[in-house]
Parts: sequence; structure tokens; C-alpha cells
Amino acid sequence: MADNATVQGEASQRDERISFRGPMQRMLISPEIGALIGTIMVWALFWATSEKFSTAPTSASWLDGAAPLGIMSVAVALLMIGGEFDLSSGVMTGSTGILVGLYAQKFMGDGATMWLAIPVSFLAAALIGWLNGTFVNKTGLPSFIVTLATFFVLRGANLVFAKRLVDKVLVENIDEVRDFEPFRKVFASTHVLESFALRDTILVLGGILAAVLVVVGLLEQSLVRREKAHAAALPLLLVGVVATVVGILLIHKTDGVGANLLAAVVSLGGAILATIGLARWRHETKTLSGAWWTPAATRSFAGGIAATVLAWLITRFLDKHETRVLLSIPAHGIKVLIGVVAAVAGTGWVARAGLDRMRSQVGGARRSRWAWPMLVGTSLVGGLVALVAVLAFLQLCTEQGFRSAVQVGLGGLGILALLTAKGAARRESGRAQLLLGTIAALVILWTALLIRHDAGSDRFRSGFVATMAIAAALVLGNSLIEAMMVKRTSAEAKADRRGRTIVVSGVAISILAMAIRLTWSGAPVRVSIVWWVGVTLIAAYVLARTRWGNWIFAVGGNKDAARAVGVPVDRTKVGLFMMVSLVGCLVGLITALRYTSVAASQGVGEEFEYIIAAVVGGCLLTGGYGSVIGASFGAMISAMLATGIPGARWNTDNKYIFLGAVLFLAVLVNQKVRKKAQEAR
Amino acid sequence: MNLLELVGISKYFGNVTALDDVSTHVEAGKVTCVLGDNGAGKSTFIKILSGVHQQSKGDYLIEGTPVRFHSPRDARAAGIATVYQDLAMAPLMSVWRNFFLGSEPGTLGRFDQEFAKATAKAEMKKMGIDVRDIDQPVGTLSGGERQSVAIARAVYFGAKVLILDEPTSALGVRQSGVVLRYIRAAAERGLGVIFITHNPHHAYPVGDRFLLLNRGKSLGDFAKSEIALDELTRLMAGGAELEALQHELGSR
Repeated sequence: MADNATVQGEASQRDERISFRGPMQRMLISPEIGALIGTIMVWALFWATSEKFSTAPTSASWLDGAAPLGIMSVAVALLMIGGEFDLSSGVMTGSTGILVGLYAQKFMGDGATMWLAIPVSFLAAALIGWLNGTFVNKTGLPSFIVTLATFFVLRGANLVFAKRLVDKVLVENIDEVRDFEPFRKVFASTHVLESFALRDTILVLGGILAAVLVVVGLLEQSLVRREKAHAAALPLLLVGVVATVVGILLIHKTDGVGANLLAAVVSLGGAILATIGLARWRHETKTLSGAWWTPAATRSFAGGIAATVLAWLITRFLDKHETRVLLSIPAHGIKVLIGVVAAVAGTGWVARAGLDRMRSQVGGARRSRWAWPMLVGTSLVGGLVALVAVLAFLQLCTEQGFRSAVQVGLGGLGILALLTAKGAARRESGRAQLLLGTIAALVILWTALLIRHDAGSDRFRSGFVATMAIAAALVLGNSLIEAMMVKRTSAEAKADRRGRTIVVSGVAISILAMAIRLTWSGAPVRVSIVWWVGVTLIAAYVLARTRWGNWIFAVGGNKDAARAVGVPVDRTKVGLFMMVSLVGCLVGLITALRYTSVAASQGVGEEFEYIIAAVVGGCLLTGGYGSVIGASFGAMISAMLATGIPGARWNTDNKYIFLGAVLFLAVLVNQKVRKKAQEAR
Repeated sequence: MNLLELVGISKYFGNVTALDDVSTHVEAGKVTCVLGDNGAGKSTFIKILSGVHQQSKGDYLIEGTPVRFHSPRDARAAGIATVYQDLAMAPLMSVWRNFFLGSEPGTLGRFDQEFAKATAKAEMKKMGIDVRDIDQPVGTLSGGERQSVAIARAVYFGAKVLILDEPTSALGVRQSGVVLRYIRAAAERGLGVIFITHNPHHAYPVGDRFLLLNRGKSLGDFAKSEIALDELTRLMAGGAELEALQHELGSR
């Protein structure tokens, strides 16, 4: 019994040491975070490089491309969470279109109606899905193999039927079928909604309301509530609100950089004051404590300042209009010198790393006779690689390009280091954290102004400064809150739920405001986007809030366990395969009715894009983990690349290089996130 | 009255005798330990209890009435819950999702999350374990905690008899202590517990009754008052065989 008592004692002690995860930390460990960050970054990249990318017509255009991909990716993500693949999903979208076209023209002659063709194609899709699922269950073969077979069968059938019945690999004139119009309206209509006067006002007001709700919700979730409201903080809140409103009105009324900047500072300062006022009114405060500096932050701080200053110096001494390649500028002797320096540095660096490794192995394995020759050899190869890399970089990069790379890369690194210093100080002292947070916010503003000064695109200039100013305000506000308020250390179901509801409604309002702004813009909006949103929402609900969602996770995560507790594993899998086929049919109809013709090769090869979108969105290849919202973001990234790269006048072939890089990065982030999520808490 | 009683159970696979004339019983609120070395017939014993196999001879009585299960589902319906070593959980799913897996609460397919989270937390608390974050994946729990989730789940879904298959075999000393505490807690809530193990030091502190198996035969079915720990250990380790071994090794 004594043993049990100590066990109990230790357990409760350990409980107290476990820290509570705040709302931000919880968001950072969700599966879709990698795709979300990727979407924002790719969007920002095109926003910065192309004048037109953020306009309503271009947005409508890439969203239009994202819709069919997004619908399929959501379905494929559900299937992947259930632990299976469907390689026939791409060709499925072609088959249904061909089926509808052939049915109408050949099987039924002139009397055919869409009212029969569409249900028939859905039935056929359901049957193919059922076959896929049943074969996988009965044979126990990997779904990769089974659906690969389906893929080839369908692909062949498309060709055979198209050639035999219409003598072409293209089935045309789907619009000649009776009752085509009502179905076109449902699956493939385009709507042009004229813009109206209040459009921008709605966006601004919606944005402000959303920001307020998100801030209130986050405070609710992360701070300790007061027993009684602290009325003395109300004047601060009031002053802050007034300053914010005045600032926003000023931005609206004035024109010109100086006045706008002043107004922005007033409104952001006001927002910070209002947030502090609100926090002090409803939540517990603490006095500012600790030393003004902590040694833990020194290294990152010095690095951050050095990077920022270096970035500034380099950009000052390089000409922003110089488009000659870097290597053609210096004289021949200097080029040789650069090459020699790079080679020596590369050799030395590799040699040092190799020596370190050899030293660390001393006590362990017997050192081979070839260790020294090997070391010298690799060092020489390292030097050669460094030489080639540096010269190639100088050969490829223009002075202008090098300058902006330094500006963005080194500047960003500096800010990141300063934020790291702030994080290091947080654990030690409130004062040091506040100081470092203020410095970081100032550096962000300064870097923003520097980059703005150089940027070519007007749209980018105003938008970039606004974004960076908001980021600086967030950093400053966060430092003030963390230094002055008592953070929660334990979960509190009611407050957490309330906070979450407030944050979610804020996010929903901002999305709604943006959707209104984009929809009533005079640009063509396709109904497929509505289907996409609908399918994503339904899938997200099913996955999170229904018993089938629980089964899908379990079937993918541990099939035997699921079977042991009574989950109908086989039925769940068949259902998933049928769902993917039916959704493939939906996408097939969306495309077929829009273009009124279908090629036999339609959709071939796209199944991998769906899988990539799902993986970028956080789905695990082995099943049991993932998100459908993330898959939708993954589809967005793909579609943005397809639209943005030609828009920015880059070589279109780059799309695939980008897609590969994004896939790799997103999977890396997701892996980190999953590890973090699975750490013992 | 005995919750579960086995009288003269035998099991033959062709001409192999897996179990021969084994009898024991478990009462409500008591723990019956089944001890045996590898190959003693413990697995066959569990499989008969949980409905995977049927006995070839003998009687299986639940609350005095003879039963014959044709599938594990039958056994579960009769209130016999088996917690296997692999625990039947999906490691990437949260505690509450695993807790209600296969029996999700809610109407029309809706999974009532609030209820599930609150109930899972409360049930775990009744077992004496305070889950810090009910949202954490089961894979992040320690082995002992995972056992406790499986036990709490079985108890919540109306088990009358809980069969635990070697719950401590893969655990360290401290974690085993935690699990033994949950076993006691389950018994105190009125369940009959059948605890299968090969470690008499784990069995003795929690058990009320001990059935010893060796090569499919019963070495005896004792109440706690009838047997002491060293006797249990001696029988368990093979008694005379171990003494011979000791002699052999000692005489080097």
C-alpha cells in the first residue's frame, strides 16, 4: 500500500507540472497548420510579385481552378484518413462525363434526357466505388494495386467506348441533350454579380468586427478571469476605441504616405490600448517584474540586430536598378579570388565537420585505415562543390535580385531572431520580454519601411506596410499582455468553449466579408466554388462530429482495434470508396457540363494532385490522421501556382518545381507538428 | 452467488489437450488471478471465457446458469469484457474518441462530443486517474494509463466480469503498481475481475483467489487464506523443478 501512495503522490505532482496549452499552441499543433501557412505564403509571394494577383478577377480565376481539385482532394483526404488510396479517382471524373455524353447521343438516341443520364452516371460511379471497396476488403490486397487496376480498366473503357461509338477520342455536344439547361445551372453555371457601393465598407467593418472578436476570444481562452470587473480600466478601453476609430477615419479621408502612416500609428496604438484596457477590465493583472535583461536572450538578440544591420548595409550599397549578373561586374582577378575563397572555405568547413566526427568516434569503433584519406577526399570534394555553387550563384543572380533576396531573407531572419530572443526572455523576466518585444516591433516597422521604399508595385507597397504594421502591433500587444496579465495554467471547459466560439465566429465573419467582397465584384463566379465549400463543410462536420468520422479515423489508425470494439470496418471502407467515386462523378459532371465536351484522357494523372493536396493538408500516408480543411488549402496552393506563375510572367514549367518544393516543405512542417502533437503532455 | 463459475473445463484441439479439468470461480467485487508460465494454457483459458473458443467438456456458468458463447460478441453481451494486451486502441486518436469507439453516443449519427469528453474524463477519474487533457492522443499515454483507459471503457459499457490479459507484462515496476491499483479499483466498484499473469508478486497483493495452471492442468485453486506468497511463488516457478535447478547451479 505504501507503494501505491507514492505512486499517487508522484502522479499528482506530475499533473501540476504539466502546463496548459493556450489557444495559439493548440492551433499550432493542428494537422492543417502546414497547409494554412503554405497557402498564406504562396499567396503573399504572388501578391508581391504580380500587380494583378490580388484583384477580384484573378482571385475568381484561381478559385475556379481550385474548386474541382478541392472537391476531389477533400474526398481523397477522407479516404486517406481511412487508410486507403484511390488511384482511379482522377480518371473517374472523365468516365462520368463520357458516360453522360455517350448515353445521350448513342444509347438513347434523340429522346434522351438528362433526368435519366445524370442518375445513371451516379449509379455507375457508386457501383465502381463499391467494386473498389469490396475487392480491397475481400482480397486483402493494398488499395494501391486494386485501384490501379480500376484506373487502367476505366481508362481503357473511356477510349474504347469513345472510339467505337463516336469514332473520336472526344465526346462532344453534350448540350444537345434534352433538359441540359437545368443541370448546367446546378453544376456549371457562371454568375456575374455587379459590384455595389457598400462592398468595401462591408469588408472593412467585417474585418474590424472579426479582429475584435478574435482578440476577445483569445484573451478569454488564455487569461485568468477576475472575480469582479475592474472598472478603473474602462477609461483606457474607451480612449483606445476612440483612437482606433479616429485613426481608421483618418486613413479613409487622407491621401498621401505621411498622413496615412500617422493615421495607421494612431489606429494601431489605439487598438493596443483598447486591448490592454479590455484585458485589465475583465482579467487578472500582475505587476511588471524581473530584471530588464536576461542573459538567455543575449545571443539571439545580438544575432537579430546584426542581421538587420547587415541587411540594411548591403541594400544601401547595391544598386536596385542594376540588372547585370553579379559575376560580370568585378574584374577577372576578383572573380578568381572569390572562387579561391569559396573553395578554401568549403574545404575547411567539411574538414572541420569530418574531424569532429572522427574525434567523437574515438572511444567507440576502431578507426579505419582509410579514415584520413577519406577525410581529405571528402574535404576536397566539399571545396569543389562550394566553388561551383558560389560561382553558379553569381552567374545566375543579378545584382538587383541579390539585393532583394538579402533584403527579404536577412531581414526576415533578423526579425525571427529577435522574436526568439523575446521567447527566451519570457521564461525569465516580464520586463526583459517587454523590452525585447518593443524592439522587435520597431525593427519590423523599420524593415517594412525599407522594403516599401524599394518596391516597384504600388499595390504591394501599401498592402505590405499595412500587413507589417499590423504584425508589429500584434507583437507589441502580445508582449504587453504577457508581461502584465496572469496567464491561465489550467483548462476551464466553460471559458475555453466560450472563447473558442467567439474566435470561430470572428474568423467566420472575416471569411464571409471577404467572400462578399470577391463575389459581388463584376468578375465571373462559378457555382463549382459553392459545391467546393459545401463538400468541405459537410466532410469536416462528418469527420469531427459524427460517429462515421470516428470510424474513419479508427479504420485508418488501427483496423483490428476498430473491429474488436464493433466498428463495421468493411462497410466503412466500402462507403469511403463509394463516396470518392460519387464525388468524382460530381466533379466529372461539373467539368463535362461546363465545356459540353469530354476528352477520353480527362482526369488521367490528376489522382496524384488530389493525393498531394491531401498530404500537404496534413493527411498521413499511413492513415488515421489528417484534415479535410487542410486538403482544401492544399488544393488552393496548387491552383494558385497554376494561375500565379503565368501571371507573374515566369516560365510555366516552374509550376511543377514549386509544387514539389511546397509538397516537401509542407510535409516537413506536418511531420514536426505531428511529433509535437504526440509528445507526452 | 458466484458471478462466473467454471466447472471441470477441458479443451482439446484434435489430440492435443490444451486444458484439462480446470475449475475456478469469481465473485462480484473479487479478483481471481490465473497464474501460469508460458504454455500453461492461459491463452486457451481466456479464449474460452471471452467466447473465441468453446470448451470441449465441462460447464461455464454465469450467475448460476450454464452458457455457451459462439462469438466474442455473445460474451460481451453477457457482460464479459476482455482487455487484451494490445488494448484495441488507435494510438493517433484522442482519449475520448477511443473511449467511445464503436459505441458513440448521440442521435442520428451525430457524435455528442461534449458528453463524450465529460463522460470519459469522469469515468477515468472514478478509476483514480486524472487525465490532464482528454484531447491528447492515446499514443502519448504511458502503458499504465492506456490500460486504465481500456479498463475504464470496459467498466463504463456495463461489464460485469473484466478479463485482463497480462496487463502488467510489458510495464515497468512503477507502471505495474499503477495498473494493480486500477484492478483493485475496478473490483471495489463491484466487478468480478479475472487477472491473468505470470508474476506472483503482481498477483498476490490484489488477488482474492488464485488458479495455478501448468501444462494445461490445474495445480490448484486457492483462496487467499489458503496460500502464502512464497508458496505461490514456489508453485508458480515449477516447485521441485526450480529446486533442482538451484541445486544444479549452486553446485558449480
